[in-house]
Amino acid sequence: MNFPIHEMDGGEVIVIDIPRRLTSEISGELKQLMKELIEQGKYKIVMNLEKTKYMDSSGLGAIVSKIAATRSKKGDIRLAAPQQTIIDLLELTHINQIVKVFSSVEEAVNSFKE
Amino acid sequence: MTRGEQVFDRRKFHLQEPDYTKPIFQVPDYYAQRMKQKITFLYGAARLDGIYPELERILKVYYAHKTPLMKEFEKNFRPENRFTEKDIILITYGDLIKTPNQKPLKTLSQLLETYLKGVINAIHILPFFPSSSDRGFAVMDFEEVDPNLGTWDDILELKKDFKLMFDGVFNHVSSKSRWFQEFLNQNPEYLNFFTVFSTKQQISPDHLRLIVRPRTTPILTEFCTLNGKRLVWTTFSQDQIDLNYHNPRVLLKMIEILLTYVRRGADIIRLDAVTYLWEELGTSCVHLEQTHMIIKLFRDILNAVAPHVALITETNVPHKDNIRYFGNGYDEAQMVYNFALPPLVLFSFQNENARKLTEWAATLKKPSDEATFFNFLDSHDGVGVMAVQGILTPEEIEMMALKVVEHGGFISYKANPDGSQSPYELNITWFSAINNEDADEPMEIQIKRYIASRAIALVMMGVPGIYLHGFLGSKNDADLVLEERQTRSINRKTLRKKELIQSLENPQTTTYHVTRWLVRLIEIRARQRAFHPNSLQKVLNVSEQVFALLRYTQDQTEMILTLTSVTSQPLELEVNLKNWGIHGEHHWRDLISKKTFHSSGNILHVKIEPYQVLWLKARNGKHAIVE
Repeated sequence: MNFPIHEMDGGEVIVIDIPRRLTSEISGELKQLMKELIEQGKYKIVMNLEKTKYMDSSGLGAIVSKIAATRSKKGDIRLAAPQQTIIDLLELTHINQIVKVFSSVEEAVNSFKE
Repeated sequence: MTRGEQVFDRRKFHLQEPDYTKPIFQVPDYYAQRMKQKITFLYGAARLDGIYPELERILKVYYAHKTPLMKEFEKNFRPENRFTEKDIILITYGDLIKTPNQKPLKTLSQLLETYLKGVINAIHILPFFPSSSDRGFAVMDFEEVDPNLGTWDDILELKKDFKLMFDGVFNHVSSKSRWFQEFLNQNPEYLNFFTVFSTKQQISPDHLRLIVRPRTTPILTEFCTLNGKRLVWTTFSQDQIDLNYHNPRVLLKMIEILLTYVRRGADIIRLDAVTYLWEELGTSCVHLEQTHMIIKLFRDILNAVAPHVALITETNVPHKDNIRYFGNGYDEAQMVYNFALPPLVLFSFQNENARKLTEWAATLKKPSDEATFFNFLDSHDGVGVMAVQGILTPEEIEMMALKVVEHGGFISYKANPDGSQSPYELNITWFSAINNEDADEPMEIQIKRYIASRAIALVMMGVPGIYLHGFLGSKNDADLVLEERQTRSINRKTLRKKELIQSLENPQTTTYHVTRWLVRLIEIRARQRAFHPNSLQKVLNVSEQVFALLRYTQDQTEMILTLTSVTSQPLELEVNLKNWGIHGEHHWRDLISKKTFHSSGNILHVKIEPYQVLWLKARNGKHAIVE
């Protein structure tokens, strides 16, 4: 399992740990995980990018692969603790204007309470 | 071409050098007066005598290049038949297809000749001039062909089989262009070619807030000139310097270039980013009256010396502002990009509901017998969403954009006057926008959905345009986005000729099926006068899952009811034709499936498969369509 998940805030928010490299080899697995979470009614998701140093286009696509599905159910996908290389990637693709980015997992989880 | 119509070799419309042994062109008084009025509006009566004689000289020089063949062609030219049901414009970069040891324009020419001759009849070759950035839209020299692509001869060769659309990138010029370099050298000739400020404070915060732009970069870019630092107006990027049309010499220069393009073979000139042509502090700096006046002046000029050449405006702005570029239908652009169409078609397929598209389409009016819509769904840029402001709610636009992101696309944003940002365009290929690669569904249903979406642009009043990647059913290339650091690159992948041909011939590929379907629909369309841009259209609100459009000739002798399903569910439709003003009993033949239907008691029963397209032609020829 490349993507450990943690239930936070009494199971209300799901945190997914993204590995060091998020590439096409494993992005399908992340997409599948997201699909299953949505099917289980989990619409508030935090991507923990703390360890992630590299992401290709496929990985980037996987992170936001359920952005409409979550928001249409009053949930969201939020990003936590991205490193500078990932921030650059988010800016280049304007994903930073679509998805809220937080400096820590805790902040990202708490943001769902606001 | 209709029977008995003379065939002209359009490559032979112009001489390479002007011929001054023939009588010199005299501007007809009608046009002279119109042009003078416009120059007076732009620059004031006091400057008219300094400007008009030079304009007249430019027209005379152009006219001296015209051959007797072109003059013969013009004698029978009818503006109302400039565009017909046979017109389909393929949009492509000059180098989208490559093969080793061959200039891309030659490769393009060979492929088009082999696969699309007789199917499409016009090509929009995106800017093929030497350029420093923005995939050709930062032009360094307006009058040369980028040697990496080919030569003017290669362009002219394409004209053997196709009409040509050139880009008039008249809003801005490359920072590497000779004109701008001369400005940096502080050559007095070029000091006023650009909009220049000494300090940022010369534009007040209030004025800055008013300016509407499609970019979030600073409007002023600093350059070091011979005489120190200067700030210049850059609507799009630091490399694209806006031309200053307050200077009549700029306008005259661009008119010369417009007519150079006509000499070089342009049948249609696309006025790129024309919305931003005229800057005026204290205004939004978009689609100002002066901008409209310049386009009208271009139209007068072309009407006077090359009436078969049309103008098309590319203005990704709200629909009501967009259609203002038709002017009164006879005095501005002959064609306008129908910017609201792509997002509304996309929205319909995303939601399997065509209500918004149907409601909007019902409001469309034919601008005149000489002007029409350019019905495109995709282009080298993304799917613009500005045009649907006021048609879709902000929430609907946002959800549409998010679904595009789910399909692997991106969103480009623009700066709003209040400092906020909002979606400007959606960057994704049309195939990936319509279909989700992650969805577990057969290729057949994806192709049907795709073809249904494209069919809507083929039936609506106007001239259809298809981007090459749309014609091929290409999927996103997100890797190229990261490589080129540009979200628009998702739809700009360069193809190798050999691999493309393999895809075209391999039934396992989407390209194989998509191209064959499109060719088939286009060939059917080209044979139907009801699809002439001047034939009428009536939108029928028969079901939220079906886009229903009636097209009929002005004399009502031909009538086609088009039904396009936007849903994955089969439908049974009962259409009371009388409710829509269609009187009489009819046999209907579907031009696509060849099946026949019969309406009885004014009721037409049709079973529609998921994403099916039906073009039902009334067969008995006794129609009465009541408005």
